[in-house]
Amino acid sequence: MNALFFRLQHRYAPYLFVAPFVILFLTFTLYPIAKSLSLSFYITNGPKSQVFVGWDNFRFLWGDPAFHRAVWNTCTYALTSVFLQLPLSLGLALLLNSRLVKGRNFFRFGFFSPHLVGQVFVAVLFSVVFIPKFGLLNRVLHALVGTAIDTKWLGNPELVMPALVLTSLWMYVGFNMIYFLAALQSVDRELYEAAQVDGAGAFKQFVHVTLPGIRSVAVFVTVLSTIGSFQLFELPYVMLSNTAGPDNSGLTVVMYLFQNGFIAGDLGYASAIGWTLTMGVLVISLAQMRLTGTWKRED
Amino acid sequence: MKNRLFSVELPFGKAPALLVLVTALTGLYLFFHPVETSRATLRLWTFASNHAVPYQKAIPSFEAVHPGTQLEVQLVHGDAVNSRLRAAFWADLDVPDLVEVEISRAGSFFRGPAEDVGFIDLMPILKRTGYYDRIVQTRFAPYQNRGRIYGLPHDVHPVVLAYRRDLFEELGIDVRQIRTWDDFVRIGREVSVPGERYMIELSDNNAGHFEMFLFQRDGGYFDAEGALIMDNEVALETLLFFIPLVAGSERIGSDLGSSRLFTQAVESGYFLSFICPDWRSKGTETDIPRMGGKMALMPLPAVHVGGRRTSTWGGTMLGITKSCPDPELAWQVAEHMYFNKAELAERFRETNILPPLKDAWEHPAFDEPRAYWSGQKLGRIYADLADDVPPQYASPFIETAKSKMAGVISSCAAYYRENGREGFEEFARARLLAAAEEVRRYIQRNPY
Amino acid sequence: MGWQRFGLHAVLVLCSVVMLTPMVWLVAATIKGPDDLFHYLFFPSPSRFSLYNFRQLFEQIPYVRFMINSLFVAGATVLVQLFFSSLGGFALAKYEFKGKRLIMVLMLTTMMIPAQVMLAPMYELIYAMGLVDSYWGLIIPGAVSVFGMFLFRQSMLDLPDDLLQAGRIDGCTELRLYWDVVLPVQRPMIGAFCLIAFMGSWNNFLWPQIILHSQERFTLPIGLNQMVGLYAQEYGAMMAGTLLAVLPVVLLFFLLQKEFISGLTAGAVKG
Repeated sequence: MNALFFRLQHRYAPYLFVAPFVILFLTFTLYPIAKSLSLSFYITNGPKSQVFVGWDNFRFLWGDPAFHRAVWNTCTYALTSVFLQLPLSLGLALLLNSRLVKGRNFFRFGFFSPHLVGQVFVAVLFSVVFIPKFGLLNRVLHALVGTAIDTKWLGNPELVMPALVLTSLWMYVGFNMIYFLAALQSVDRELYEAAQVDGAGAFKQFVHVTLPGIRSVAVFVTVLSTIGSFQLFELPYVMLSNTAGPDNSGLTVVMYLFQNGFIAGDLGYASAIGWTLTMGVLVISLAQMRLTGTWKRED
Repeated sequence: MKNRLFSVELPFGKAPALLVLVTALTGLYLFFHPVETSRATLRLWTFASNHAVPYQKAIPSFEAVHPGTQLEVQLVHGDAVNSRLRAAFWADLDVPDLVEVEISRAGSFFRGPAEDVGFIDLMPILKRTGYYDRIVQTRFAPYQNRGRIYGLPHDVHPVVLAYRRDLFEELGIDVRQIRTWDDFVRIGREVSVPGERYMIELSDNNAGHFEMFLFQRDGGYFDAEGALIMDNEVALETLLFFIPLVAGSERIGSDLGSSRLFTQAVESGYFLSFICPDWRSKGTETDIPRMGGKMALMPLPAVHVGGRRTSTWGGTMLGITKSCPDPELAWQVAEHMYFNKAELAERFRETNILPPLKDAWEHPAFDEPRAYWSGQKLGRIYADLADDVPPQYASPFIETAKSKMAGVISSCAAYYRENGREGFEEFARARLLAAAEEVRRYIQRNPY
Repeated sequence: MGWQRFGLHAVLVLCSVVMLTPMVWLVAATIKGPDDLFHYLFFPSPSRFSLYNFRQLFEQIPYVRFMINSLFVAGATVLVQLFFSSLGGFALAKYEFKGKRLIMVLMLTTMMIPAQVMLAPMYELIYAMGLVDSYWGLIIPGAVSVFGMFLFRQSMLDLPDDLLQAGRIDGCTELRLYWDVVLPVQRPMIGAFCLIAFMGSWNNFLWPQIILHSQERFTLPIGLNQMVGLYAQEYGAMMAGTLLAVLPVVLLFFLLQKEFISGLTAGAVKG
């Protein structure tokens, strides 16, 4: 009896252990995904009244200038985070990784600390940093380069995106640096010595030793920041006092989904936006991984 | 090896132990301090703290006349009123019996089949009690949809111009000389100094200020029939007039933001004047006390000589929800809060808000000179303009239209900053048309 | 060599200044009275320090209640996630069973799909379960962290099988093995996961924004965001609210920073 119990509990234990995941996956992932696919063919006014409209939501989305704006903004943000933020992170990591640096832990904490603040709180803080006339940024810029003291960073459609990018740089450069730093530290020192023996300069060492050494981490960070960028919501929403900013200059795809579904009450249209976003993110991250795959084959 | 001892007590490390402690403590606190379920028999939500305070004061006198009734007035954030009310209508959650909704949000609750609207139609009772004819007529417009009135107007909200009387005198500006906007702009150009001093507070990125110019000219977002008119000739004309006031080298207007920024700007003379509806005049008194005696009010400049000298900004409705078990009693609350003349007079002293019940204005409270406003009779100034207040018409799409209009303002201002008059009219016309088309697309999609 | 070292440090110091200035500004803003707030860029003389902003914060909004709500929700979420995720990770690392590959694939898919697509049906579901406007509506849908399962699977792969076998011979059930043998040696990863999960739950905004309706149940991000509009914008009080809201995360970070850095990068550098 006892032996039987032990055999059985050994055999079924793993199923028990993953059961919570499976149950939650079925209720809170699989069902909602299926449901949102069907919802995307309805126009709704709250969950109670729904009207079937077929492909209409997607057709409307295709020609919806506000959605185009949201996609444009989101892509701009994603591109800057990949091509501006990550190189900066890598640069900082390279500096910190130098053997000459003293107080590495202090600097590492200093660069990383903004990330501890969290998106919503960063947004509250920066909504005040950007205010005209009295905000930190305007006062510093006015003193240093003489820009107008009453520049409305969050009130001018052309400045909203730069303000967002600036904020996200502050928040994420140090965070991504941690990954790069860890990767740099794991690169074999002997490889550098071997390269030096071969007479390679600093740049050549970087290209031939460092980059291949941190490749997998770089890909990981790139995919992660891309997915994260496409889900941008809290930062602009809170910073622009719960609006999309002047002329929708701070509208993102997720914010548009939120506005339609939970402010205007059209859960159907929101689901159509959600599915479009999902497809976009899947295609882009698969493409990025595919790219890594080809790199791997070249090795 | 002290750590060893420590780790025996905490087999999974410091973090889980700390979290268990925190969760247990806060959990206990929350268990013993549950969210209070209200014992009130009637509940009213409002989003404005300056409404909530006088209503709360008026509770005892109501309960005295209605024994057994417990009335509760709850202050709820504007966005929260919106989202909670909507969620509540959808999901049959806890809905209040009476609720105040802001003017630009009211329309969105009239969407969907008429029988699904969450508010009761007040038209019959307004007619029966005769209040319908005693209230400023234009104020019903924003809360009216498909022939039904879903809300009682809380206010009239005429606007005037508030100005730094001391600075105007120093600069030699005589307000009697300002009869039209053209007069105002001419003087404004003389006294405005970029980055330091502006004639008036005007925003170049939201529709709030622009709207007042639009309404003053009898323009608007929707007409009485509910048709979209935000791209008509009046709108274009207003836009062409407005943008040069806030953008380009000759601008006379700027804005900084609300509350402390605004206080600072008025005190430092960054703004010489600002558009001031009745509710804002009280805010000015309390937020900028140091300017007492230095401020004064004047009617808005007209578009043409002899034209309308006011417009309107903001508003609130009080609705009775369909889930209210005793609408008759709820109506009596509404009557008590909105139509009790003695309390209206007292409330006017506290809030400066002109009630829409016209016969209430006969009370002496509306003729009291105000020291803060250089001894002017504030109540009379607003009351005299009340009948001229232009109407705003409701539509479920009013918020969409407003946000698209704000987009037009921002982009036109950006264009004008960049290119000046060159091609501006064509640009403005095209932008206005495109924005209106977007709103029309939404309207056409509506299956109800 | 000396110049190189000097230049390097100069750049690093400059970057740190840029990074830390907004924080210093935040701290300065919280201790200035309303008249000094915009008058001084940073700190006024100590005699002008004022608690005005904190008084405003506590008197004007139920800030303490928000804080307690947040601590409870984040604490409970992390503990539940920690238990289920490490359990699941253990099964994936140390057992062979039917459907294991399928589960790994499902987990990967879950991580790739933006959660926002599920918002609308989730709201309906939570409504049907009667959990709208409750703490459970926040805790239950997030009870298992897929990221956490990957993290624990990764670090448990290195566990020696002999250790588990020895436990079994001693008569441990599998659950006991997990609790008495496996978890204690996972302490560093537990620390890292706690901090990562805590930050996630602490800063969670969209979902609570959708399902919480009564102010008394608001978490800090929701409460602070709404405060901006309800009582005329008190910038000083907002900054004070932000500062206090960040403190718990900072404290936890200092407690766990070694584990945190290694945990954060473990998945990336190894995989």
